[in-house]
Amino acid sequence: MAVNIQGIGAVGGFGCGVEALRNALRQGSVPPRQVTLEHPGEAGEEFPAYLAATGELERFIPKRELRRIDHFSKMTLLGACLALEDAALLDGDRSRIGVVVASGYGPLKTTFSFLDSYLDFGYSCSSPTHFSNSVHNAAAAHVAMQLKLTAPNLTVTQFDMSVPSALMTALQWLAEDRVDQVLFGAVDEYCAVLRYCRRQFFGAGEQGPLAPLELARQTAVVGEGAAFFVLARPESAAAYGRIDGVCLGNHQRRPVRLPETDGLIVGADGHHRCGVWYQQVITGRQVAACAPVYGSFPAAAAFDLAVAALALRDGNLTVDEPPGGDGQAVDVSRLACLKFAAGGEYGLIRLSR
Amino acid sequence: MTRLAPVAISGLGCLSGAGMNLAENLETLFAGRRYPRPPVRFSTDHPVSYPVLELRSEFTLPLDEQELTYARTSQLALAAALEALADAGLEAMELQKKRVGVCIGTTVGCALNCDDFYRDYKAGSMPELAIIERFLRSNPAAVIARHLQLDGPVQTVVNACSSGSDAIGLGASWLRAGACDLVIAGGADELSRVTYAGFSSLMITDTGPCRPFDVRRKGLNLGEGAGMMILQKSEDAGPQRERGRVLGYGAACDAHHLTAPRPDGAGLKQALREAFAGAGATPAQMAFVNAHGTGTPDNDRTEGRVLREVLPGVPYLSTKGYTGHTLGAAGAIEAVYTVACLNRGEVPASIGFVDVDPEIPVPPVIANTAIGGDMALSQSLAFGGNNAVLILGKGGRR
Repeated sequence: MAVNIQGIGAVGGFGCGVEALRNALRQGSVPPRQVTLEHPGEAGEEFPAYLAATGELERFIPKRELRRIDHFSKMTLLGACLALEDAALLDGDRSRIGVVVASGYGPLKTTFSFLDSYLDFGYSCSSPTHFSNSVHNAAAAHVAMQLKLTAPNLTVTQFDMSVPSALMTALQWLAEDRVDQVLFGAVDEYCAVLRYCRRQFFGAGEQGPLAPLELARQTAVVGEGAAFFVLARPESAAAYGRIDGVCLGNHQRRPVRLPETDGLIVGADGHHRCGVWYQQVITGRQVAACAPVYGSFPAAAAFDLAVAALALRDGNLTVDEPPGGDGQAVDVSRLACLKFAAGGEYGLIRLSR
Repeated sequence: MTRLAPVAISGLGCLSGAGMNLAENLETLFAGRRYPRPPVRFSTDHPVSYPVLELRSEFTLPLDEQELTYARTSQLALAAALEALADAGLEAMELQKKRVGVCIGTTVGCALNCDDFYRDYKAGSMPELAIIERFLRSNPAAVIARHLQLDGPVQTVVNACSSGSDAIGLGASWLRAGACDLVIAGGADELSRVTYAGFSSLMITDTGPCRPFDVRRKGLNLGEGAGMMILQKSEDAGPQRERGRVLGYGAACDAHHLTAPRPDGAGLKQALREAFAGAGATPAQMAFVNAHGTGTPDNDRTEGRVLREVLPGVPYLSTKGYTGHTLGAAGAIEAVYTVACLNRGEVPASIGFVDVDPEIPVPPVIANTAIGGDMALSQSLAFGGNNAVLILGKGGRR
């Protein structure tokens, strides 16, 4: 069943809100922030990262209520509030709005803060607050509590496939009439341990700039953020076009079949292990790859979806042919978002105006 | 919520502290035995040793060298999935001709709880990434799909302690939507030092064997294990292959507290209504309820009140005394038990219960009890305020 997109909320390295995302897309890229590492093995080294600020959340939720909510959940809450605001659903009955949250890694900082509590002070001093907020669905729970959303609430984690996998369930909830709308979104956060791991995995290859269509080269720049959508059944109004369907599979076992006439947004984000799969299916084809606007992280697939929704509303999309170029705007009425994981797993989301 | 088409369960698999396969689990349950003890697989400096229910023997799987490095949670998931496939009479090669989805619930299996790595990192050394690589390879749903060379949708549900129930309900939805020909659905979780420390910090673990619904209950015992089901469209499985049926699934959120259930049980009641509507069933048709029944004061009070109000006169039990609380696996293990008990025509005693709590006037079953009827209900309450309810049916194959 196709579903309509009624609202979008996004916060990331480009800023906060749909207009900030649109402006960043017009520019083609956003300069990442320079972060200084503190780990003794890398002390003083600087590296780029797309980091999100959540100050605007206080526009929706009193500061006092946010005291014990971590950065991961704040990004989630802000994305959710912005999407509801965009769909004019911040007020009124929200009892039939389901929540589906996708995350590649969950609340990393709080997970490590919980470990800190017992590694530093012993097991009897383990922090109950950190523990309860380190559970993967804590962010979705904060969304439900703050926004009084009592319908079904789901969190999914599937690394790079988290977004298409979770979207499949969101569409199914609407098809089964479990809910009237789904607040669907994805979130991932940066943390120092993640940076350490990426440094060890990829060496100095993540110093930027992010060149997503140089598919054989490791150019990823770490990012974080949250992107949310209000999805509703096809009889509702569509502010941003509609999602026609989502398909998941493994390209090694059953190759992905790309729609030939649709515009294509690829989730290529500078990871060469994933780049090999894109290379197999997009060679000779004009595509859009927008990671230089928000960075590289599993939940960024939801930002690709937001880009697609904006393109459908605006009627055009800027595309390139690998390995990149000046980019040209083309008319679009049908789009597909393609995301590959390193093992050949793929998610293909199709949209139309 | 409209009425849903039933989905066939053609295979069951289960391992826990009560046994290494479903048959052993049932034998333990109906013999009234349980084996809580201090954790063996890890140690802490916590001054109190809380009993847990670990697997009592090791299990071996037909894995290659790299697969042997999967995290324990994923190996548990795979072991139960292989048992369920064998129970369904399905060979791996046969699956590769079908579009097979995998939907697995977990909590430990998704968390970067690598405290050995992190201890070294904090100390300023440059720890190697073997543990991280292992984590990245060990997403439980992806492990099953990779091992069996499947190419359908893959989803790991991380809804805390309702994950296993949710995964089965969602897997059934995938079949109804035509997204797959067959779904391997369930939940898995290993015992972990991190969750042991976390639940201790919340002060909801009992220092002795847990006592679900008893007036003197003090908390839960952690456990580990996995429960899996093979789900197929009823017309594909055929009545002679059906071990059971998924008839209804309801889910709702309390939107109340991160770790405690809403005292009036409004979320649980909403999930129950949705499950009954989907199944086209009434509470009076339920042969029994396999309750969440963790043994924590808050959970059992809320659940007991709701059971009295919504399902009066329906026998209920908790199997947490036999398995401990297996977190993301719990809902799936209990759903497997529910189908097995329906087919057997009896439920085991709710072990650990002795004295009635005045706040929960109706006690759980206290002895192995014959049951009639062909539908039963399994419910899960979770951190984050999630409530998930499965209505399951008896199968043509016992």
